[in-house]
Amino acid sequence: MEWIQDWSFLERGLFAGMVIGFLSPVLGAFLFVRRMTIISEGLSHVTLTGITAGLVLMQVTAVFSWLNPLYTGLLAAIFGAFIIERLRGMYRAFEEVSVPILLSAAVGASAVLMSLVPTSYAEWYSYLFGSILTVRQEDVWFTIGVGAVTLLLMLLFYKELLAISFDQEFASVTGVPVQRVNMVFTLLLALVIALSMKIVGILLVGALIILPTAAAYLIAKSFRRMLLLGILFGEASVLGGITASYYLDVATGGMIVVCGLLLFTAALVSAFVRGRTGLGEERIT
Amino acid sequence: MSTEEIVAMDHVSFKYGRQNVLDDISLHVKKGSFLGLVGPNGSGKSTLIKLLLGLHKQQDGTIQLFGEDHRRFRGWSRVGFVSQKAASFNSGFPATVKEVVSMGLYGKKGLFRFLTKKDRQRVEEALEKVGMREYKNKTIGQLSGGQQQRVFIARALVSDPELLILDEPTVGVDAESVQNFYTLLKELNEQQGMTLILVTHDIGAMSSYVTDVACLNKCLHYHGGIVDYEENREELMNRMYGHEVNVIEHNHDHHHHSHDHDHDDLHGGRPG
Repeated sequence: MEWIQDWSFLERGLFAGMVIGFLSPVLGAFLFVRRMTIISEGLSHVTLTGITAGLVLMQVTAVFSWLNPLYTGLLAAIFGAFIIERLRGMYRAFEEVSVPILLSAAVGASAVLMSLVPTSYAEWYSYLFGSILTVRQEDVWFTIGVGAVTLLLMLLFYKELLAISFDQEFASVTGVPVQRVNMVFTLLLALVIALSMKIVGILLVGALIILPTAAAYLIAKSFRRMLLLGILFGEASVLGGITASYYLDVATGGMIVVCGLLLFTAALVSAFVRGRTGLGEERIT
Repeated sequence: MSTEEIVAMDHVSFKYGRQNVLDDISLHVKKGSFLGLVGPNGSGKSTLIKLLLGLHKQQDGTIQLFGEDHRRFRGWSRVGFVSQKAASFNSGFPATVKEVVSMGLYGKKGLFRFLTKKDRQRVEEALEKVGMREYKNKTIGQLSGGQQQRVFIARALVSDPELLILDEPTVGVDAESVQNFYTLLKELNEQQGMTLILVTHDIGAMSSYVTDVACLNKCLHYHGGIVDYEENREELMNRMYGHEVNVIEHNHDHHHHSHDHDHDDLHGGRPG
């Protein structure tokens, strides 16, 4: 695969973008039906803590000067994902509190770590809002590896994840290994968030997970279709966003989210026109 | 009715913390019977079902399913389960009826396997059985309570279970649908020889459909045929409900004893 070495920054960015444009809405669909979308926000901030920790290690110790902060970001995301799971278990009746706890802890730790090392504003900006200019060849390999693992796990556990999301008790009764599948899901989430960092940045990772799915829900009449439409919207947002940012010379991550928002608005209008806005009411009867 | 025992519980006890929920229960269910398990709220009915399904572990006694100790039992696809619908599903979930029924096959298929054409055919057949085939492409939330419950039966039937367990399946379902629902259960029992355990607190509605009755209130007050039950009904009711009143009077430490453990969440999977 030597041709990858000849890729321009734009090709590298497009490739990495296409991968997350596919994976984010898939995870998003499961988070959506499990009412857990907010977790992606918590995890993205933990990833930031991991990245800053990596930068500190790189600059302070000679041993780690080779380090790519993406790796420490990934480790932090996995660690954070399991902390959230534990907290959710401890505050069973108030599960949502686990996200603000982790989010504030992560941002606090990041601020302290940031103050330890001299880093330029531009570099922080690229971590917060993403930048395809910074996608290096090494990152492309990282994307291929992590993306392939994620895709494989998604395919293997699709039906178990769906069964647990719909009715955990029934899934358990029929012999689905609920706890193991939930662990895999948490791991997948951490992988995808770490993967999205370079392109859309910490503050916008959540948008790429949520917007395509939220739009697809308004149109689709089955879970499968919601998933497929979500992927379509995710890819359209990424491609549209990168193209627009290239020609208009604006922030890539932001433009991707703006494209997602446009698609979401279009879905909202189409649902409104077809009288499908009161989904909740129609379905409760 | 054959003599083969599908369920054999012997001297089973279960406690939540220090509170006795089930006390020395021995219950045997023969192949082909239709057992109505009745008792007041908080009598331990749902706990008993969760023990049977392996979702809780008893502290004392033994449970056998199809002649096998249920801690070693792996044939869960031989057991179908229909829960209280309100308890465990989100009505806004964007799943079609077909998708919901397919979920009944996932455990049987095992990890890393996809549904085949034959599986999809079985989904259609299960829907046919409960008379819901024409609704297969509707989203589950668009259906009425009675229709949803039929779909959940189809989900339990799709793996061809030999034992079907239903935990208060008619809560929140209108009276007419309840009648049709019981008729459907009776057909499954009489025409296909399926063994059924129906948990309910609505004793009157089920009495003309079941073959056996078990009355539960922490311990088993009656277990036998429906005819004997009808003859001794009044005395039984006094004993069963009277027992609960006595417990409240004598147990000053447990004012909250009527807490309904039947509805506790199930966050984990099977223990062990």
